[in-house]
Amino acid sequence: MKPPNTPHVSRRSFVAGVGAATVLPPATALLTDSAQAAPGAVRPKSAVQASAGQPVYLFFNVAEVQFIEAACERLIPADDSGAGALAAGVPNYLDKQLGGAWGAGERLYCSGPWLPGTASQGYQLPFTPAELFHTALRAINHDFKKRSSRFSDLSADAQDAYLKTLEGGAMDLDGVPSAVFFDMLLRMTVEGFFSDPVYGGNRDMVAWRMIGFPGAYADYYEAIDRHGVKFVREPLSIGEDRHGNVHVHSEIPASIG
Amino acid sequence: MVQRLKEVDVVVIGVGMVGSILSKELAAAGYKVVGLERGQTRFTVPEFQSPAIHDELRFDIRKALMQDNTREPVTFRNSSSQTALPVRRWESFLPGTGLGGSMVHWNGQTYRFHATDFQLATHTRERYGKGFLDPDLTIQDWGVTYDELEPHYDRFEYLLGTSGKAGNLHGQVQPGGDPHESPRSREYPTPPQKEHFQGAMFRKAAMGLGYHPFPQPSSNLSQPYTNPEGLKLNTCVFCGFCERYACEHYAKSTPQTFILPVLLANPNFELRTGCQVQRINLDSTKKRATGVTYIDAAGREFEQPASLVITSLFAINNVRMMLLSGIGKPYDPGTGKGVVGRNYAYQTMSSVASFFDEDVIINPFMASGASGTLINDFAGDNFDHSGLGFIGGAFIGAVNTNGRPIQYHPTPPGTPKWGKGWKDAVVKYYNHSVMFSLHGSSMSQRQNYADLDPTYRDAWGQPLLRITFEFPQNDLKMAEYVTARGVEIGKAMGAKQVAGAPRKGPYTTQQYQTTHNTGGTVMGSDPSTSVVNRYLQSWDVPNVFVVGASAYPQNASWNPTGTLGALTYWVADALKNKYLKNPGHLVTA
Amino acid sequence: MTRINTQGWKGALVMVTVVGSCGIQLSTANAAAAAAKPSPPAPPAAAACQACHGSKGEGMVEGDRPRIAGQAAYYLDKQLRDFASGSRQSAIMSPIAKTLSDADRAKIVVYFASLPMPAALASTAPTTAQVSFGRQLAFEGAEAKHVQACDNCHGPEGSGVTFSGPALAGQLAPYLAAQLKSWQQGSRRNDAGSLMSSVAVRLDDADIAAVTSYYASLGK
Repeated sequence: MKPPNTPHVSRRSFVAGVGAATVLPPATALLTDSAQAAPGAVRPKSAVQASAGQPVYLFFNVAEVQFIEAACERLIPADDSGAGALAAGVPNYLDKQLGGAWGAGERLYCSGPWLPGTASQGYQLPFTPAELFHTALRAINHDFKKRSSRFSDLSADAQDAYLKTLEGGAMDLDGVPSAVFFDMLLRMTVEGFFSDPVYGGNRDMVAWRMIGFPGAYADYYEAIDRHGVKFVREPLSIGEDRHGNVHVHSEIPASIG
Repeated sequence: MVQRLKEVDVVVIGVGMVGSILSKELAAAGYKVVGLERGQTRFTVPEFQSPAIHDELRFDIRKALMQDNTREPVTFRNSSSQTALPVRRWESFLPGTGLGGSMVHWNGQTYRFHATDFQLATHTRERYGKGFLDPDLTIQDWGVTYDELEPHYDRFEYLLGTSGKAGNLHGQVQPGGDPHESPRSREYPTPPQKEHFQGAMFRKAAMGLGYHPFPQPSSNLSQPYTNPEGLKLNTCVFCGFCERYACEHYAKSTPQTFILPVLLANPNFELRTGCQVQRINLDSTKKRATGVTYIDAAGREFEQPASLVITSLFAINNVRMMLLSGIGKPYDPGTGKGVVGRNYAYQTMSSVASFFDEDVIINPFMASGASGTLINDFAGDNFDHSGLGFIGGAFIGAVNTNGRPIQYHPTPPGTPKWGKGWKDAVVKYYNHSVMFSLHGSSMSQRQNYADLDPTYRDAWGQPLLRITFEFPQNDLKMAEYVTARGVEIGKAMGAKQVAGAPRKGPYTTQQYQTTHNTGGTVMGSDPSTSVVNRYLQSWDVPNVFVVGASAYPQNASWNPTGTLGALTYWVADALKNKYLKNPGHLVTA
Repeated sequence: MTRINTQGWKGALVMVTVVGSCGIQLSTANAAAAAAKPSPPAPPAAAACQACHGSKGEGMVEGDRPRIAGQAAYYLDKQLRDFASGSRQSAIMSPIAKTLSDADRAKIVVYFASLPMPAALASTAPTTAQVSFGRQLAFEGAEAKHVQACDNCHGPEGSGVTFSGPALAGQLAPYLAAQLKSWQQGSRRNDAGSLMSSVAVRLDDADIAAVTSYYASLGK
């Protein structure tokens, strides 16, 4: 049985910037902070993040930002199925991950000797993710400078063609094989698109809304009996308070201990 | 400066599932037990609570609950002709760490091996003849039978409260269960979990083809349960954050929920965390262990003397512990001699993806780690292999556990890897796909083994374990065969498009397959082909027991944990009633 | 193409079709949506509810009558059905629920769900220690009691999760306490999977006072 169209939950008004990293309000604030709660509102979705405008990039420089923003948007473009990587804040996600512990080599065994391995043996370069990105982006921007052009100025088709060149491994980016760089860029773009908004991407949970993933609160004991029935619920973030504000914590450790 | 501590009766290396159960049994029997765990304590409250635990990036992608690979990875190569290199990031297998071990973040899939698995070499010869097996395969009998283990399987399942439906009670086939299974003495402790939509679709299609679908046995419980230790577990709510995550609801059977409160309350047991055991120490005869040496979190070195040493680490770490301690002769694949590291095996995983129209709504995010529906018609030796050219098989099921979008966004073959075409396909198929898992056996072969790496070291300066592994041709043939069967089921479900992805070589460490590493300290009746006897006691050093899936001579068609639980209780029994009453070799070779 | 049998949620299909706006789906109809547009007028059948639950569904201190405004529609619907069928017992609610037609029940439920969730009514002031401990139970749970965080199912700060746990934030504390007691004693049993009774049997009176006073304090 074909269901009628579900109401489109449109969030075109989502705010471009994400709030600075903060923590859940302390207990006393819950009792006394009447300014925070709109009286009568359960979880108003209109006011989500603090500031409008561009994210504050801490890792990428301006030239790198231009490449990253344009490249991510080609990897996951905005179209009629929904927002793309740029509106979802994916470049911001990359910036915070690369600028933090992950970029510095968390969860990466960093002892030598470094030898080229087989595909089955995986990543064998000494570059941390931060080093890898800076090195590769420097080489790419240098490449464009030599041709007096900019990736971000190319047409979409030309950008795609360039990305395919990187993907195919045709270039050595100052020691970073372009396929390795592309692979990491693509992985992190998908992560930034689909991860919880606490990490600075998936802004306003646009990616989750697009596919219908309900997010971090997940009890389906009764709903699982409804075979074949569409489940529509506001997605919920880890960092969400009861007013619908998502508190972004970009630096969350990759270990529990 | 090594500090020597007061002697205790038992030292247990690794306080995961095995270490927790053995420690509890021995402490309850009056012995003084010290449990050394390299990781930290963690409990359902606060460490496993939601919403923080439902973080796909942190736990799935960054592997937050897993062994710290920056300090202790492994090295890997496909064959001895290559140089092994470090697995610098975990992907293929994800060893756990910390109190409770990997069972904190397992999927809860709880199986028994088949009776024939325990005599696989003998059975295969008898059924198919001597020449049937590829000569490179080194499969062996276990030295213990299913019948001997049955009461211990039962005890383990009742400890966990496993939810399922028996298919064979005392030899009588039961409707609703797996008719192929070996006989059980009683029903599962709790009934099966609810079936999700894709499980129901699979069941109809499989039955239509004449197969025998049954509910996946799940240690994510279908209802509240009080286990024989007096501990209570809750109902699982199908949150879809099972494997790689810990359960906030007290609904997943983990040492935290089924035994640790009892163990930790026993004054005979002392837990020490942050303790990295460096080796088991031997006396001058090399035939008796005197205890272990470990380094604590502050870098201080200690010697803990003990009368009995149990190494209950994750499988590959057990192998490494024996090698670092110099117990048993290391295996040499060139000569075929030696035993430690021999018969390393894994799991041969294939998949089938079925794609449906938009009016078929799957809701993949509603699932537990083990709430699927599957068939064993093509698992183990449940089907006639005559003329097929391989042994072994796989369970086939709609056993998908989640819809977590960073990793789960199925797209049909031919979909671009990025761009508009990718994005549109993700939106189109996310809620309209069914993924089958084909969970295949893994035969040991003489070329596959583990030893110590000559070059790379851990943070304490000790050599890393080196794994040399490639899929035997036998297993790749098996994968092709079972995948074709899986594709037929997908088509019978009425899918618009069905894509089979049989496992192909070379084995890669770069794609997750399972954390079912087995072998290396194999059990058996013959010391020339096993490291431990049928009680998992070292042939060489009788006061050392090596308890883990490292004992498996080869890996079967099902997840290894259920069988390891049975072996744990089997060993506990042998320790309490045989060994500790009269220490010495329990088996004369 | 497979013919899929969409059994199992027929009640909700009726409810949602009457609403007319959401199509065949399990969907939220909560105050968030309502905040964006004015609430529909109260249906005539709601008058009987307002008599006890307040003109704005805010509840009533006298008689410990719970707030129903802004509660999720699916939850209000399930409770009314359960009162009618006997799955949930109440000397007051059962007779009322039995007389409701399907159409009236649907209208009532949608109406009250669409109302803004008001601040909690004044009741006995909790101690700071109670609220603090209650928050810990709600946000983290208690290992020694084998009790998980309430918010796991009841949402961030108890604001409710559709088809999971209803909103607790700002609900009357005595009402919440009475419910926990009834789960504990077995007089309320309409929790699927025994999810609530498993929790309630592990709480003592001090826990109940703490966690209910915490949630009640969140209405503001």
